[in-house]
Amino acid sequence: MKYGYYPGCSLEGISLEYDMSMRALFESLEITIEDLQDWICCGTLAAPSLSHLLGLATPIWNLVRAREQGHEQLVTPCSACLYHFKNAAKQVEENHGLRMEVEAVLEGNLDDLPPAIHPLQLLSSEGFGERSRDHLSPQRDLSDLKVVCYYGCHISRPAEVMGFDDPENPQSMDQLVRSAGAQVLDWPYKVDCCGAHFSLIRPDIVVELCQKLFRGALDAGADAIIVACPMCHANLDTRQGAISERLEQELEMPVMYFSQLLGYALGLSPKRLGLQKHIVDPLPLMLEKCGAGKGQGVVP
Amino acid sequence: MVFRDQIEALSGQNLNLCFQCSKCSAGCPLAYEMDLKPAQVMHSIRLGRRDSVLNSRAIWLCVACETCTERCPQGVDPAAAMNAARLMALRAGLEPGVREVGVYYKGFVTNMRMNGKIHDASLVAINRLVSGRLFDELPLAWKLLLRGRIKPPPLPLRGARFRRMYRRALAREMDQPL
Repeated sequence: MKYGYYPGCSLEGISLEYDMSMRALFESLEITIEDLQDWICCGTLAAPSLSHLLGLATPIWNLVRAREQGHEQLVTPCSACLYHFKNAAKQVEENHGLRMEVEAVLEGNLDDLPPAIHPLQLLSSEGFGERSRDHLSPQRDLSDLKVVCYYGCHISRPAEVMGFDDPENPQSMDQLVRSAGAQVLDWPYKVDCCGAHFSLIRPDIVVELCQKLFRGALDAGADAIIVACPMCHANLDTRQGAISERLEQELEMPVMYFSQLLGYALGLSPKRLGLQKHIVDPLPLMLEKCGAGKGQGVVP
Repeated sequence: MVFRDQIEALSGQNLNLCFQCSKCSAGCPLAYEMDLKPAQVMHSIRLGRRDSVLNSRAIWLCVACETCTERCPQGVDPAAAMNAARLMALRAGLEPGVREVGVYYKGFVTNMRMNGKIHDASLVAINRLVSGRLFDELPLAWKLLLRGRIKPPPLPLRGARFRRMYRRALAREMDQPL
């Protein structure tokens, strides 16, 4: 399978550590990805809110580039980009009139567009568990680490568009994190919304939605929250000050990408995984729970 | 075309399937902030209450998390109807029911036109200037800068192809009756 890679705008900017850890993980698992050339923003909710046609043409532009460059699947780590790719592709597939309009805007045909997939889906189908079994670092024993996996909105929802995992109780990330050795706890907030881009518009809404998630994670007894979307990460990692005030409880819970946790278990250096780039530094927790000299602060 | 038909044409939804079970309202994470709850938006569209829908805060508070769409027992996509209502509100020249959201979406597409991609730091900085909240997030911005997460815009800017597509899309759309 020839995989194209669409980082998206966040991974080139504020969420660069997701990109760093994703690339490092693929490299160590010997999964080859090739960067999509000449890509543009997916348009998120802004483009379709201002223009119906622009909202469809913008994501599909990228799928057309992927087809031109011979990619069979387009790996998309941002679940918002992923949703807009899949939703636009489905709309033009089902509505012939709309498809002709988008073809006119893009000045090209929309035959045989490759599907976009989330890296969780890629790792599940490429058998991360088997691939990683022999490579897990003995110096990085994650068995004392308790985490909850937070999927957010678009990895599996709506099922009719995303076609991957269970929309109400997804398991793919739980399984990957478990095969990396960590304890995955059950909790009821896996697919609740974090407030997404309202972080920039109405941070009060993000604080309200995320405080529920933190309460849930604390009730479950988690040491950290594992995520698979740059927006979920930004909202959970950067708003803990305001959420602490709202919860009347000092909050300092590391939030990591699944790619960082898997990479850590495989022995990749924290720096390569971008662990030092978070607002809430996860390293003290990792050293305490998973280092070779557990509890002694020794860098393995 | 009556109002409901316009929304249906834009969203590709058959809103008459809705039997008002209100599961969409129950699951909506933003319902607590909405003036019309999602099920009320659906019903208002069917009743032809155009002004009430297009001026509502609800249609601008929807973040398209798709919880309603996933759970609708009738297979309706309320989030798509909300999006269609936003398009119609802008076409009608109405001020978005939640002004900040309209300002953000317009700023977002303007930013895309520079380089085809979003440059997040300038998107946020310009949004803060326009909305007069420049100093709200400076401590956070400083922390992100220290961690190497704020980057200068990529030069040279390569937005020309995107801008051509943008103009074609808007020109075609303006030709269509709504």
